[in-house]
Amino acid sequence: MRTVLGTLGVAGMALGVWRLLEVRDPLDVAVWLGGAVVLHDGIIVPVVLGIGLLVGGVRARGTVRGALIVAGSVTAVALPVLLRPGAAANPSVVPLNYLRNWLWMMALLGVFIAGATAVGWARARRR
Amino acid sequence: MNSMQESAAEGGRGNLRPGATGPEGETLIVQRLHRLLPAFKGRLHDKRTATVVGRWLGGAVLVCFVTGTVSHYVQHPSSWLIDILPSRPSWGYRLNQGLHVASGIAAIPLLFAKLWTVFPRLFEWPAVRNVWHGLERISVAALVATGVFQLFTGLLNTAQWYPWPFSFVPVHFAVSWLFIGALLLHIAVKLPVISSHWRRESAATLEIGDGADRRSFLYGVAVAVGAVTLTTAGQSFTPLRSLDLFAPRHPNYGPQGLPVNKTAVAAGADQVDLATWKLEVGGPQPFTLSLDELRALPQYEAELPIACVEGWSKSAKWRGVRVRDLLEQAGAPASSRVRVTSFQRGGAYRVMEMGRNYAEDPLTLLALELNGEPLHPDHGFPARIIAPNRPGVWQTKWVAKVEAL
Repeated sequence: MRTVLGTLGVAGMALGVWRLLEVRDPLDVAVWLGGAVVLHDGIIVPVVLGIGLLVGGVRARGTVRGALIVAGSVTAVALPVLLRPGAAANPSVVPLNYLRNWLWMMALLGVFIAGATAVGWARARRR
Repeated sequence: MNSMQESAAEGGRGNLRPGATGPEGETLIVQRLHRLLPAFKGRLHDKRTATVVGRWLGGAVLVCFVTGTVSHYVQHPSSWLIDILPSRPSWGYRLNQGLHVASGIAAIPLLFAKLWTVFPRLFEWPAVRNVWHGLERISVAALVATGVFQLFTGLLNTAQWYPWPFSFVPVHFAVSWLFIGALLLHIAVKLPVISSHWRRESAATLEIGDGADRRSFLYGVAVAVGAVTLTTAGQSFTPLRSLDLFAPRHPNYGPQGLPVNKTAVAAGADQVDLATWKLEVGGPQPFTLSLDELRALPQYEAELPIACVEGWSKSAKWRGVRVRDLLEQAGAPASSRVRVTSFQRGGAYRVMEMGRNYAEDPLTLLALELNGEPLHPDHGFPARIIAPNRPGVWQTKWVAKVEAL
């Protein structure tokens, strides 16, 4: 089982490399692949870890953490439509007011986080 | 994220304790160096969490890979494949591509969660134990690079944003094989760890503990997957359209209630002189038809979706002439392979070929009307192809010629 999976994996990777060598400039792709690792390991994770440090001590930690995971994920998925430069090809491409939608979503999660923290704090006090 | 604490000081409990005495024979400099690496005292960077999130991520990636590969071959079929591709189910491509984009979007929170969980392993010490360990670390690096790359390029492509210097389609396709290969290899390497942490009651899981904290983390990740899915899936799964907050398309936007990729102006096809426009039909007995003559032929209705490779799709009511009727009138069998040419200016999709399964399907129309009105110029006026189970780019607009091959 492991051997079969591993062999399939190596074969798939070999096929991928072979296909990559056929595209116009494989070096460009290599730079962007490396850039993906640098962006993730060098910037995104340290920021998330930093936020994690701050969240570690709050009341209702699990709920707050969950809401922050949701906020981060929604933001990551919305970034292209929020930041995309240049005019859209036609009015049916990126037609929505994404900034407003995103602000509403963040406000909703903010209220939720504040509520969860307040409840956690009140419970801790009553004890 | 919660009790995550990094510090360069000696580590307490955790997966890695770079502060502990290093292997013998290390030079002082190396020892100093590895003391600079962060120590992870936080929880949930454990094998059970990695196993659970990895399972979800593996499922999403598998769906994404299979649907992406299917889409690639439907969009760019080899010549032997053209006549084999089926025209049913009529919603097949729509479902396929909706799943491709939705599973890719769902994989974004999962990939972040997975990489966060295993992040301390980046600082493993010694960095390389032996050749096999070195190869494994290289394969993990490839997995991280290709995973982040695929989700990033795919997501930006749906928003029609291309900041990179290379061509998207061949690169996204090539890297998908690298990604799935690295993933299978990774699963093979980790299989013993995965199986020993497969269940909540597995001995190795119980040894880690942290059950309640882990469940709350996993709930958070699951809710995040639900949130990104619900706020984008409405671009193809129209019952969710009112929740479509962040998708690059919305079913309510577009001429005649249908989104568009290439407009008539962009295609140089906005000025049609109906006095001179004639549809050419090629075959053993070729002929031409004016728009009025086309309208005089038997008309049929079909409810079929426009389903874009970028993931958005919407169903619409089309009315027009069956392609098979045109073929028969030209003396060609209904099950001919067909070439359709548009009068649009240039573009990679100006000339389209479709296999016999599509040509003979009674739902395949040369459509003249959309939702009860003549086609809007952006939807291909005066006539366009609409066929079941096909990607949007091959639903040729502004048709000039239909020929049996």
